[in-house]
Amino acid sequence: MTLLKRLLFAGTALAAAGLAAASAHAQGKPEPIQVGLIAPLSGIYARPGTVMKMGAELGIEDVNAAGGISCLGGAPLELAVIDSGDSVEKATNAAQRMVAEHPKLVGATGAYLSSFTLAVSEVTERANLPLLTLSYSDLITGRGFKTIFQTSATSGAQAEIALPIIMDLAEKQTGKRPQTVAIITDNTAASLSSVKRMKEGLLADVGLKLVSEEVFTPPLTDATSLVQEIRRGRPDLLFFLPTVISDSKLILEKMQEFRVRVPTISFGIAIAEPEVLNTVDPKLLEGVMSAVANWGKKGEEGLIKRLKDRYGEPWMTQNAISTYGDMWLFKTALETSCSRDRAGLAKALRGLDAGPSKYYPGGTLSFDDAGHRKGASLTIIQWQNGVPMTVFPEALALSAAKWPKP
Amino acid sequence: MFRSLVPFAVFAALYLALALFVTNSYYQLIMTLVLVWACFGLSWNMLSGYTGLVSFGHASFFGLGAFATVLAQKYWGVSPWIMLFVSAGIGALAGLLIGLPTFRLRGHYFALSMLAYPLAMLYVFQWLGYPEISVPRVLDRPALYMQFADGRVYTVIALAMLAGVVTITRLVERSRFGMALIAIKQNEAAAEAAGIDTFTWKLRAIAVSGAIAGMVGSFYAIVILVVTPQSVFGMLVSAQALTVAMFGGVGTVWGPIIGAAFLIPIAEILHAELGGYLPGIQGVVYGVAIIALIILAPEGIYWKARDFLRARRGSAVVEAAAAPPLVAVPLPVAPDAPRRVGDEVVLDVRNISKQFGGLKAVGTVSFQVQRGMILGIIGPNGAGKTTLFNLLNGFQTPDGGQVFLGGQDMVGKKPSQLCKAGVGRTFQIMRPFKRMTVRDNVRVGAYVRARTEAEAARLTAQALDAVGLSGIALRLAGGLTTKELRLLELARALAGQPEILLLDEMLAGLGTDEAIAVVEVIRGLADEGKTIVIIEHTMQAMVRLVDRFLVLDHGEIIMEGSPQTVTRDSRVIEAYLGKKWVANA
Repeated sequence: MTLLKRLLFAGTALAAAGLAAASAHAQGKPEPIQVGLIAPLSGIYARPGTVMKMGAELGIEDVNAAGGISCLGGAPLELAVIDSGDSVEKATNAAQRMVAEHPKLVGATGAYLSSFTLAVSEVTERANLPLLTLSYSDLITGRGFKTIFQTSATSGAQAEIALPIIMDLAEKQTGKRPQTVAIITDNTAASLSSVKRMKEGLLADVGLKLVSEEVFTPPLTDATSLVQEIRRGRPDLLFFLPTVISDSKLILEKMQEFRVRVPTISFGIAIAEPEVLNTVDPKLLEGVMSAVANWGKKGEEGLIKRLKDRYGEPWMTQNAISTYGDMWLFKTALETSCSRDRAGLAKALRGLDAGPSKYYPGGTLSFDDAGHRKGASLTIIQWQNGVPMTVFPEALALSAAKWPKP
Repeated sequence: MFRSLVPFAVFAALYLALALFVTNSYYQLIMTLVLVWACFGLSWNMLSGYTGLVSFGHASFFGLGAFATVLAQKYWGVSPWIMLFVSAGIGALAGLLIGLPTFRLRGHYFALSMLAYPLAMLYVFQWLGYPEISVPRVLDRPALYMQFADGRVYTVIALAMLAGVVTITRLVERSRFGMALIAIKQNEAAAEAAGIDTFTWKLRAIAVSGAIAGMVGSFYAIVILVVTPQSVFGMLVSAQALTVAMFGGVGTVWGPIIGAAFLIPIAEILHAELGGYLPGIQGVVYGVAIIALIILAPEGIYWKARDFLRARRGSAVVEAAAAPPLVAVPLPVAPDAPRRVGDEVVLDVRNISKQFGGLKAVGTVSFQVQRGMILGIIGPNGAGKTTLFNLLNGFQTPDGGQVFLGGQDMVGKKPSQLCKAGVGRTFQIMRPFKRMTVRDNVRVGAYVRARTEAEAARLTAQALDAVGLSGIALRLAGGLTTKELRLLELARALAGQPEILLLDEMLAGLGTDEAIAVVEVIRGLADEGKTIVIIEHTMQAMVRLVDRFLVLDHGEIIMEGSPQTVTRDSRVIEAYLGKKWVANA
């Protein structure tokens, strides 16, 4: 509890706490088990951080409704929320604060942006606190850390997984494999590392020839030259890697204006965040696909509805579903470790073998030595009638993929 | 010097005691970061605080230090213990490279172009493929790589670094280095006129400043563990240096320390207490607090507190300081007694002229000044007095003619060279450094002649004595009267031991009694053998002072002679008052 809250509720806190403690004691209810959510809740990344918090809250609710941690006498999970702020320094400070001021934490999840996750995990590793993360930079699991667990496929792996699927989909629906591709990417870390991986072999592996590559610095002011380059190259496919919503809007609008109709595949969630609809006409988006680490899938319809009813979120992005799944992952591991000890939980996560993964796409609930989730795959989503729907993997798809007609 | 470090030593001891007592790893980190940002603020202060050239780009040096340290450890296994010093070297070098082209710009242009360097580097490091990079963790003998489980060690290292930076700052502050920077801040032209090679001193300042910033950046990377271009080259980093320095007080060693000690913990407490509860509100509260403080204490907490304390200590101190007679040598008032003037020609002006387009500001003027003489140059507004003056002291180059000083032609020499050759000058508009004592103001001028600090101190004392300001030597220049400021400017010119003194409108803005007092000081100087040329617009006070008048009108000498002759001359009256007064004269 923060100082401010303490002051605000000073009057009633004593009595309430006394009552609560008394009743808890009377019923023999075990003390809650604390798990942390460290994510940007203020600053320019506050929006995705807030969605992560929604997912975590729903997850805690469901775990507790299912009886909490039965191995520990049905102890409920309790969420400690730590704002990581909007800079690496703030994230490091927040991580220090988390480990110093929440000594009872058994584990945490965070911290959205991969550079924040890198900073936070440097601290949690030293404090032996297990950290789950949905960030997908390859660096996160490339440091030999023992307490970091990456639930998403790494960005390098994502491109590798996505490309063959996209090629197969095109061949199945149009009858021929695409031969040429153009790339438009911004120069942010995640985008550039994906593009690098593609150019260093992935494109060749699936038989695609790169006809043009345009790199821009966000925010873009004019997309004319980028789009003209595509028109000149007449590629069969466009790989589109923006991070900022306004950039996607500009480019899509310009493509419409110039009547450039190339099947467009994006990477990442910038093109599928609910805010996109504030500025972009759904008609422009229709048919655009994106490869994302996780998304609301088949079997999660109830969850998607609850998210919509309670928080007004129109659909479930990776930030919500992965963080929701993290709460269940904590439960599974806690049932194994059967202790309130961080080291115990870390050990349980490392040795976990809990079968196929439910809330993360593909693979199992188990981790390799570096902390990659074994067999982690991704989802491919497609804008259909104003909503980004999961279309791959087929078993988890909420809708069938329709190859955009050129 | 050592006495000036005592307060810091006390602060450091208390801080260390507190740091060793704190076991919470989060508070340890904050205590370390306070020191890191204090050092960075001091680095900024070294350049911008003293020279007044505002840098929005100190992140350049900081970021280079940070990246160098992490990359060197990652690729070559070089320990940060070494990289701390290498980064200082990199910072200094970057300072020189940035300073060379950028010091050609002034004011806002300088500030804006400084802003561009870190932003450009940000993209360079992104392009190089370092969107994010972390300090490799060393498990075998981590201390060799500055990795400690106990956060207090970092606080101790940071404190040692701050002690070093404070000592350097103090050393600079008290030497000709600091005085040169401060003089540049007051008035770059005046500094150049006082014999200061401004460009070289600015380069030295940015190199020292860059070295400190590079070292701080290096240490920051070790503490924060992850470096991204945005986190070390970003706008916020440069802004942080400005914020802590401006909040605490610019141009003092304490400013950045106070600023960091306030702002960093406050930002963190707000973040910790309000961040999880009402995300984002901490930024609003923080912003409002800074705005409020800037309004209440625009020059920073340090100066505000100092003014407040001085005011409370009461007027007793001020009166005690004011008690000794202002004019130390009361001269017998004998205005009309003829003075002895030597035969030796100090300044020989031959046919100099200056034209601005079609306007002939000075046309073929010749005159001589003998040793010990007081020459008054008078004339109505627009007569060409100031232009003539600027031709003599090197601020403008004449179109033709020669100016011989001690037998050497000085035409085309820079003001600082002329100053070294023995031309001292005061300015019509006084620009003292208000936050410095009278003595330090004068000391700036002494460095032209003085080779050592001791000699500078001796020349300063002499000059103060000569103008009668010894009694208020320790007062701040900001609290002086116009008369005292005029004398201060005079003392500053005198401290450089000039052969000849050029005084520009010394009596402007003074009351009659004050003017008489100043006139007597000038006369005293002449009696001691100083040669003086004084420009004045009004004639009254001058009549009692000068040995000889030179009357200018429309850029020509219309009359030269003793005060008595000149004041009765019809051409002079006509030039000053118009034709109709000539008949009445």
